[in-house]
Amino acid sequence: MATSEDIIEKENSINRLGSLTNCVNEQHKNFELSDVVYLVKSGIEAVIDDEVTKRFRAEELSSWNLLTRTNFHYQFISIRLSLLWFAGVVLRYCVLLPLSNRILVTCFALTWLFVTVFPLTLMADSEFKRKAAYYVNLVAFRIICRGFSAVVDYHDKENMPQSGGICVANHTTTLDVAILMQDRPYAVLGQIHGGFLGWMMRTLSKATKHVWFERSEVRDRMFVSKRIMEHVSDERNFPVLLFPEGTCINNTSVMMFKKGSFEIPTTIYPVAIKYNPWFGDAFWNSSKHSMVQYLLVVMTSWAIVADVWYLPAMKRQPDENAMQFAERVKSVICRRGGLVDCIWDGQLKRMARVLSWK
Amino acid sequence: MGNDLTMPMEMCSHFDPDEIARLGKRFRKLDLDNSGSLSIDEFMSLPELQQNPLVQRVIEIFDQDGNGEVDFREFIEGVSQFSVKGDKSSKLKFAFRIYDIDNDGFISNGELFQVLKMMVGNNLKDTQLQQIVDKTIIYADKDGDGKISYDEFAAVVSSLDVHKKMVVDV
Repeated sequence: MATSEDIIEKENSINRLGSLTNCVNEQHKNFELSDVVYLVKSGIEAVIDDEVTKRFRAEELSSWNLLTRTNFHYQFISIRLSLLWFAGVVLRYCVLLPLSNRILVTCFALTWLFVTVFPLTLMADSEFKRKAAYYVNLVAFRIICRGFSAVVDYHDKENMPQSGGICVANHTTTLDVAILMQDRPYAVLGQIHGGFLGWMMRTLSKATKHVWFERSEVRDRMFVSKRIMEHVSDERNFPVLLFPEGTCINNTSVMMFKKGSFEIPTTIYPVAIKYNPWFGDAFWNSSKHSMVQYLLVVMTSWAIVADVWYLPAMKRQPDENAMQFAERVKSVICRRGGLVDCIWDGQLKRMARVLSWK
Repeated sequence: MGNDLTMPMEMCSHFDPDEIARLGKRFRKLDLDNSGSLSIDEFMSLPELQQNPLVQRVIEIFDQDGNGEVDFREFIEGVSQFSVKGDKSSKLKFAFRIYDIDNDGFISNGELFQVLKMMVGNNLKDTQLQQIVDKTIIYADKDGDGKISYDEFAAVVSSLDVHKKMVVDV
């Protein structure tokens, strides 16, 4: 199985390919007959195991954490492993789940949120309301994080996002929001969801100004960037939190950053989130599981262990366009989080495969 | 042969049954229309390959019977040449065949031009490209017949340990 190092090695060989065109271009003598080799090799590698669609499935681990989700069919390798796995299942579902009261705690958190948010909806916008919203959010998300046994290490807190800025992070799961929000509240920018998640979003919006939009609506996009502009220009608002990948990736890599959010002239606070796959798979395969299914999966894991790195604030250089700036921010996040820098568009997960090619 | 990918035992490949099973799974996934063979469009459904100018050539080499599609046997035998266990000469032969479009055992001036054109696209003028082609041929062509034979190709390339780069993990 390919480890992260292998993938990085592959990326390098593909990068060398990219420079091939340049070397032929610049110095005529530099072509060698062996130059086809990289192209052929990377092509064959893509045929055997392509880098893109793999990122949308659960990450395969080099060692197994006794959860069936991460490595399929591992529990059937030998009787001893099967027994161990089965003991793990019993422990996780019958002891850990009820004992730690994960479901109860989460229900409590949601009730708390609903109850405390209610008086806030009646209040007019004021200093007090903002203060109250700050703590209501903080408390609710700390309880929620307890609910799915999140153990999070926050590094470099001095770089924590400040009001009037935009916090961008890599996206593995919706829980990213909870993990960041238990450290400080944000105004979240996100896709409208239905069902349980939709209800959560509507409730949260009553206390804080979040921005929800429909991805496919072009008019929405214009509206969204205007809303963000207004939002960040008011120093009293929470910083905006958004995930420029626009979709959940399986905790191994970072996909293309959408440039939209980088066009806004304000400070960007990059944040790298890396989950430790040893204790549970945090990746939400949103095209396969619903939110509630996913939450159950998470709660029956051993725990959710994550590292969060706050990176130094970044500003767009005068000679840089939004795309280049997005690339720069992305590479900083990749390096800190130990993730592979992919150029592919995460939306490939949703769109039908391109069958015609010219 | 349909969807049943049970393969004859004499299939010449460097893979063990596990690896073949894994490649079989991958093959079925790529086979979008379940025809039992992969067309160029099916290969092109992979985003990485859409940017790779040599896909057409590699598929032509894989496609031994020349019916325009790669069946499972051809797929395994093709990928097998990239196995760690594959020998040096079969790897070099594969690289050679990328250039040898008409499969006559020689890389002609025109063939090298065509392949280079695929690789650089419109980044170079045809005259510049022709210069590179001529220079490469003169450099490699030891017997002065104006084309590159496999032996001449191997002599140029093998010093670069090319075969070691033509290894992929299955």
